[in-house]
This record gives sequence, C-alpha cells and structure tokens, in this order.
Amino acid sequence: MNDSLLLIGRSLRNAIRQPATIIPNIAISVFFLFVYNSGLSSVAQLPGFQGTYLGFILPVAIVSAAVGGAGLAGQTLIKDIDNGYFTKLLLTPTRRLAVIWGPMVASAIILTAQVVLVMLLALAMGLKVAAGPAGFALVVVLAFLWGMAFAGYAAFMALKTKNAAAAQAATFAFFPLIFLSYTFVPKEYVTAGWLKVAATINPTTYVFDAMRSLLNTGWNTSSLLIGFAVTLGFATLTGGMALWAARGATKMTS
Amino acid sequence: MRDHNGEDRGITAVGMRRDFGGLHAVDGVDLEIPGGRIFGFLGPNGAGKSTLVKILTTILNPTAGRATVAGYDVQKQGGKVREAIGVALQDVGLDPLMTARELLMLQAELFGAHRDVARKTAERLLVTVGLDDVDPKKRSGAYSGGMKRRLDLALALVNDPRILFLDEPTTGLDPASRAAIWEEVRRLNDDLGMTIFLTTQYLEEADRLADEIAIINKGKIVAQGTPSDLKREVGDEVVELQFASCEEAAGADDALAAVAPNRQAASRKLRLYFAHAAESVPELVRVLDGVGIRLQGLTIEQPSLDDVFLRVTGEALEHEVDEAGDEGSAAPASPASADIDAATPGDDGRSEVTS
Repeated sequence: MNDSLLLIGRSLRNAIRQPATIIPNIAISVFFLFVYNSGLSSVAQLPGFQGTYLGFILPVAIVSAAVGGAGLAGQTLIKDIDNGYFTKLLLTPTRRLAVIWGPMVASAIILTAQVVLVMLLALAMGLKVAAGPAGFALVVVLAFLWGMAFAGYAAFMALKTKNAAAAQAATFAFFPLIFLSYTFVPKEYVTAGWLKVAATINPTTYVFDAMRSLLNTGWNTSSLLIGFAVTLGFATLTGGMALWAARGATKMTS
Repeated sequence: MRDHNGEDRGITAVGMRRDFGGLHAVDGVDLEIPGGRIFGFLGPNGAGKSTLVKILTTILNPTAGRATVAGYDVQKQGGKVREAIGVALQDVGLDPLMTARELLMLQAELFGAHRDVARKTAERLLVTVGLDDVDPKKRSGAYSGGMKRRLDLALALVNDPRILFLDEPTTGLDPASRAAIWEEVRRLNDDLGMTIFLTTQYLEEADRLADEIAIINKGKIVAQGTPSDLKREVGDEVVELQFASCEEAAGADDALAAVAPNRQAASRKLRLYFAHAAESVPELVRVLDGVGIRLQGLTIEQPSLDDVFLRVTGEALEHEVDEAGDEGSAAPASPASADIDAATPGDDGRSEVTS
C-alpha cells in the first residue's frame, strides 16, 4: 500500500483511540452554533439582512471546527517527535514528506468530518442552503482547504519548536482571526473603524463571505473567487512553511 | 566488500566530521568494517557514538567526510541505505497508542511488504524477541522498559537487514533482558551473517560480543583492533595495587616508576602491566616496603578493555555492567589481609593476592 495512505490510516486510527482530542473541538463548534444562533438571531430582523441568522453564524462554527481540528496535525507530530517514532519512521525507506503529510491529511479528514457533522446539525435546526447541495459541498471544500492551511501552520510550529506547549499556544494565535472580523453581524452594522480595518486585513473575513453567500444568498461569483483565492494563497503559504520546516527536521539526504 | 551472495554488508567512512556549533562531536573518523562482523564502538557518554550512528543511518548530515553503508553513499543514496539497514537507536521509537503487531506490520509495509507478508513477519519477530505471549491488545505504551527495547529491536529487523545498527542496546536493562539481547545479537550474526554495528559504554558488552572494537573519545577514534589485540598492546597481565589513600597511591606511582614503567594510576589504585606479573610481585613489595608504603590489597588479572580505554584516553570509563543491572563504579573492592599466599590466575583470568 502507498506509504502516505498507511501513515494517514495510522493517524486516523490513533485519533479515534483518543476521542478526547476530537470531542472538545466539536463541542466548541456546537456551542457557537446554539448559543449565538439563539442569542443573536434577532439580528436577522434588521433591515437589509439577507437569509437567516443560522446561515450567517454557521461559518463561524465551521471555521472554528476547521481551525481546532487542524491543531491535531501539530499535536500528532509533536507526540511522534517526543516518543522517537518520528525518527523511527525516518529510518524506513518511506518518502520523508509522507511522515509529515500523513498527520496533516488525517487531521484534515477529521476536521472535514467535524464540519459535515456541524452542518448536518444546522440542517436539522432548519438551515436551507441557498446554493443547494452543490453549495453545501463547496462550503465543505472551503472548510477543508482552510483547515489544511491551519494544519500547515500547526505542522510548521510543531517542527520548528518541537515543543507541545509552544505549538499549542501558537494555534491560539488564530482565534483572534475568527473574532476580528464581521463575526456576529454583517459589516453594514459595524460602526467601529478599527474593527473594519482589522476585518478588511483578516483573511477569515473572505472565507466567511464566501460561505455566507453560498448558505444565505446563492451563487455569488466574486465572493467565491475571493474566498477561494485567499484560502488557497494562505494554504500555499503555510504549506510552504511546513515543507521548509520539514526539510530541516528530516535532514533530507535523498 | 561483497559477500558470497554478491551483497555488500560493509561500512566505510573517510574523514567523517560533524560539528554542533564549535563542538566537533565527530572529528575525522575513518572506518573500514568488512561485512559479517560484529563491530563494537566503545566510548563514554558524549564521545560521539550516537552522532556517528545517526550519520551512518542517514538521519543526520555530516559536516564533512564521506561514508558508505552496504555500498551506498549515505548522503546521496539515503533511500538505498535505509532499505539495507535496521536501526535500534538509544532511545526507543514506539508509538504508544499502537500494539506491537500494528507497529511491526506498519513498519514491514513501509519497507514494501504486502499485508499478508507483513503479518507473518510480525508474528515471526514477536517470537524472536519473546513478545509473542503478550496480550495482543496491549499497546506499546503499557510495555515495560525491557519489553519496549525488545520490540524496538524487532522493528529494526522487519526488513531482514544486511547491516544492523544498535546504539547502546542494553543501557538500562536488567541482566536477564541484557543477556537475551546479547544472545539474539550473536545469533543474528552467526546464523544470518548480519553485520552488526554496536555502540556501547559497557566494556563487558564490547568484549563479549565484538569481533573488532574501536574506542572513540571526544569525537576521535583513539584505538582500534580485536579485543585480544587491544588488550595485548596494554600488557599480558595486570597487577592492581590498592592503598589506603590517594597520597599513598601517588607515592607508590613514583616509587615504582623504575620497576614498572607501564602503569596507570586511578584514585587509590595503581595498575601495573607486565609480561609475567607473578614474577614481579616480590620486587614491587620490596620497593614499597623500602619507601614505607603499606599495601591494602594486590590483585593479578588479565588486562580488560578498561585498561585499554584508560591507556588511550587517560580516563576510566565510568560505567560498567554489574550484576544488579545498575550503572556502578568500575572495580570491585579487594580484601586487605596480610600475607601473599597466591598468585595464579583462576578460571576467570583473575586471581587475588592478598597482602
């Protein structure tokens, strides 16, 4: 069997054996969905608001699930480095990038499953996806790519610091990115100038926009293009960082 | 260095160097190890043993120099090297969430084995290292230190390697586990012709297992040869004198310079090397009586690798295997009685002459 598939399978099996690494992340996403939807749903009554508040707040729960799930890649790598198994894998003829790629893809698969779970919950709560089943699928794809971007960052931090606490702390740096945006209300209702500046710079804003357009208003080409461009650009950046750190960590000789 | 099957099982290194900042962890090492041998690499902690193993097994790049393992260049043909070798590093490398069978099967599959073959390999190796009767659901994280070490050794064997690297394979193990690993190492070499590159800080381990030994200290090879050759270079027999104080030992060291030019002082002991030790003893006692230094004990024994190490480095190895499996001091205490009554080596090459 392909080396990458073997190592992805191993990481998935290990994640299932440690449900404590997955469950809190799902719980946080579900918390976002229930608490903010029930507490702020009257925002949808404001003039000019399009769609439902459930469709508006769902991307926050999705991005949260994606970011939290991506941290698993870094945690897996740190554990492998700490217990020496990382070196043991490097001593096999397997392609050395597969040793890093395995946990990254496994965490992306897990976070995608979490995202689908959160979205199914939203459907059960009455969500109607404006762009239909294809739009639903595209939201999942966008979440997967955004998660991969974070997995790349988590892997980079794990390989550079080789320290579980430092890698964990580094992933928290991304939580402000979720909240320094038009997280709870559309930008038309945000008055603070500093938040508008922060939201404009923040790439998460464009991911929210793309997902919200699919969930609440239908097919909006410009929102989708910008959302995917930002996500792919970010994933390329963090993927490159992870690759660079991986080359250092594995001292590649072949 | 090809064997009768046309396979290269040898190791060569020329001018191998690895620096960490200003420290030369490996400092110009040359090696030429023919296939099918057990090669012991002996040195204290921090001597550069593990660094050299990491270079030869492709997980660390050298700063300078060139090495081949199984005929492949370690820097340019790392993948080929890894296919040909098995490695058990000083720190075991196990995923604590996986069972022994899962670890062995994954390792075998990563070396290209099909699933069925990998399963059979796993079962065979579990028997080999004596872990076949362990609960198959038990994860490696719940194994004892000795079991982990044996599983790690099994992982190093999944690809039937031509060359096996063992980096301090018995450090910290109890005597029974240590003996089991020695037996297995010997069997792998005898039955399969596997070349074994073994690093150790235990003189006894190197002496018992290795066909040839290199002693490394501060990154440099300071002596190399068969254990018997190395010991012969020191002298045929050793007289160890014990004194009540370091000052007396130092005084004896000066006083005996003329009658025993070949000697080593260590704390309250003085080791003197002779072709025929027993014949020299009366003269030693006479000289010491002449300067008023009283002996506490006198032992005649065969030279050990410790003597070789002491001679080439000027320092004693701090660690040696003892029966308790702990790391203890080098030499046992000798009794201190009055009269010389025996001076013939026993079966173990060691006799005690009390004074």
